[in-house]
Amino acid sequence: MASITFKNVVKTYGNNNTVIPDLNLEIRDKEFIVLVGPSGCGKSTTLRMIAGLEEVTAGDLYIGDRRVNDVPPKDRDIAMVFQSYALYPHMTVYKNMAFGLELRKTPKDEIDRKVREAAHILELDEYLNRKPRELSGGQRQRVALGRAMVRDPAVFLLDEPLSNLDAKLRTEMRSQISALHKRLQTTFVYVTHDQTEAMTMGDRIVVMKDGVIQQVDSPQNLYSYPCNKFVAGFIGSPQMNFLEAGVEKEGAGYVLVFAQNRIPLVKPELEPYVGKKVILGIRPEDIHAEESFLAISEKSNIQAKVDLAEMMGSEIYLYFTCGGQKMVARVPSRTGIHADDEVKLALDANKIHVFDSATEEIICH
Amino acid sequence: MAKRKKISNINWSILLTILALLYVYPIIMIIFNSLKQETAITTNGAFTLPTSETFAGLANYVNAIESKGFLQSLGYSLLITVTSVAAILICCSMCAWFITRVKSKISQALYFLFVFSMVVPFQMVMFTLSQTADALKLNTPYNIWVIYLGFGAGLAVFMFAGFMKSVPLEVEEASMIDGCNPLQTFFRIVLPMLRPTLVSVGILEAMWVWNDYLLPTLVLDIKKYKTIPMLIQYFRGSYGRVEMGPMMACITLTVIPIVIVYLLGQKHIIKGVAAGAVKG
Repeated sequence: MASITFKNVVKTYGNNNTVIPDLNLEIRDKEFIVLVGPSGCGKSTTLRMIAGLEEVTAGDLYIGDRRVNDVPPKDRDIAMVFQSYALYPHMTVYKNMAFGLELRKTPKDEIDRKVREAAHILELDEYLNRKPRELSGGQRQRVALGRAMVRDPAVFLLDEPLSNLDAKLRTEMRSQISALHKRLQTTFVYVTHDQTEAMTMGDRIVVMKDGVIQQVDSPQNLYSYPCNKFVAGFIGSPQMNFLEAGVEKEGAGYVLVFAQNRIPLVKPELEPYVGKKVILGIRPEDIHAEESFLAISEKSNIQAKVDLAEMMGSEIYLYFTCGGQKMVARVPSRTGIHADDEVKLALDANKIHVFDSATEEIICH
Repeated sequence: MAKRKKISNINWSILLTILALLYVYPIIMIIFNSLKQETAITTNGAFTLPTSETFAGLANYVNAIESKGFLQSLGYSLLITVTSVAAILICCSMCAWFITRVKSKISQALYFLFVFSMVVPFQMVMFTLSQTADALKLNTPYNIWVIYLGFGAGLAVFMFAGFMKSVPLEVEEASMIDGCNPLQTFFRIVLPMLRPTLVSVGILEAMWVWNDYLLPTLVLDIKKYKTIPMLIQYFRGSYGRVEMGPMMACITLTVIPIVIVYLLGQKHIIKGVAAGAVKG
C-alpha cells in the first residue's frame, strides 16, 4: 500500500521563512495526483518532502502506514523524475537505468531483464549503449522515466518533467505518462504549473497558493465548481472573467447588477449579500453570440464593442469591455464577429459563479 | 577586407611561430648538448649542432644514470609526485564539494581561506615550515605529500569549486534516491563528472611537484633523499666545475615524463580550464 498522508506538515526555511504553514493531504493508493499552482506556491517543496530531499519542519508525513519524516530518500521506496532529467552524464542509458538496482544488490540477470523490459516499453531499445548527451530531450526524459520504472517503486514523483520539451513532444509524453500510470498501477505525484497537464493527467488535482491547499478535486469538479476566485481563475484558458456586481432582491429571486445589465439568479445563498458587492465569474465559453441562445436568454444579454477578435480556427476569442471591465468570450468562428463590431452577447446564467468580494470564497455556482 | 584579414593572420602566424621557437629553443639546446662530448659544450660549442667529432652518443646518459644515483632520485620524485597529486585530487575535490554544497558562513570562510593561501609567497613561510616539518616528522619522501597537499590545496580547491558549481544538484539528488550514501554519491557520480578538472588540476600539480626544487631541499634530509631537481645540482662539482654533458642528459630525462603526461592530458586541460565558464 502506498498512500501518502500529510498531517499538519510545516516547512520553514531558516528562522522564519515559512513556505508551507499547515499541510493536510491524503493521497490515495494508485492515484495519479497533480500538484498545481503558480511559481513559489510550495508544490515542489511538497514533492521534495515526500522524496526526503527536504526535511519536514513539523508535523507527520506517512507513506503507507510508515512515518517517514526521518527516513532517508533511498529507504522510502520512491522514484523521482526531475525537470532537468538529472541523468548521470558519464553512464550509458543502460547503466543509468541499472544504477539504482545495482546499489540495491539486485542479481545481474534480473537487472538486465528489468532494464530491457523498461527500455522496450519506452522504445529505448536501440539507445541502451548511448550516453545521455547523444540523446534528444524527449529520449532523455524517457530514460529518466525508465530509471524510475525499473525500481518498481511504491510512489512515483514527477517534478515538472515535461517543461523542458517542445509543445508537440509534451503532448506525446503526456499520454505516455498517463499510459504508464495505467500500466504500473502505482501512486503518481506530479508537479506542474501547466494546467493543461494537470487537467488531462490527474485523477485529482491539488491547487496550491502560498503553501496552502486551495482545493483538492477531480479535474471536472475543479473546473465546474471552483471553491474560490483563485482556483476559478487558475484553471481554464483563457481564464474566467470576473466582474464586480451588486446584488438586489427582485421578487422571489435576486439580480446581479453591473453596468446597465441586470442578470436574474434564483440562488438563496445570495440573501446575505443583498445590497452588497460580489464578484461575478463567468468562463469565456459560457458567453454566447449565437442567435438561438440570445433569444432564449434575453435577460442575461449584454451589449459590447469588440476590441480585439483572435481567430483560433474553430473558434474566436472576443476581447471586449463591459462596464469598464475587460472580458473575453469564446464563440464559434461561424459567428463571423470582427474587431470593432458592436455585438450582443448572452451570459449563460446557469454557469455563473458568484464569489464573496472580501474573502473571494465561492457563494454559489 | 578578406585579403587584409588574411595578411593579418599570416603576420600573427609568423609572430607566434617565432615565439614558439623561442620557447622550444632551450629544450632543443639541452637535448643537443646532452648528445655532445663535454669539451664540445664547454669550449664555445654550446650553440652548435653535434658533429661527427663532438657526438657522444648516449655516453652522457649512461654517466648521468650511473654516477649519482639517478634511478633512486627518480623513484623518490615519482613517489612524491604520485602521493602528493593523489592526495591533492582526493582531498581538494571533496573539500570543494563541501564548500559548494553546504551553504554556510564557515564554508564561505573556508573557501576564502583557500583562495587567500594562493597569494602567500612560499618564501615567507619556508623556514618556519622546514622547522615544523622536522618536528612533525614530515621530512621524508613518504610523508612530504602532506606539505604539498597544504600548498597545492589553494589552487586545487579554487578550480574544483569553480567546476562543481556547474554540476547540477539534481543529479546528486537522483543518486540519493537511487540509493547512494554521500560517499557513493561522491565517488560514483560527482568524481566521474569532474574528470576534465581532475586531469587539469592533476597535470598542473604534477608539473609543480615534479619540478619543485626549493621545498624538498628545505625539508628533506639531503644526505639521504634527493629528488631529481636536487640531483641535477650535484653535477656541479667543486671549484666551479660542472659536468655539463651528464647534467644536460639528466635534465632531458627529467623533462621527458612530465612532457608525456602533459601531452596525454592536454585535451582535458583545455576543457577543464574552460569548464564552468558558461552554462552547458
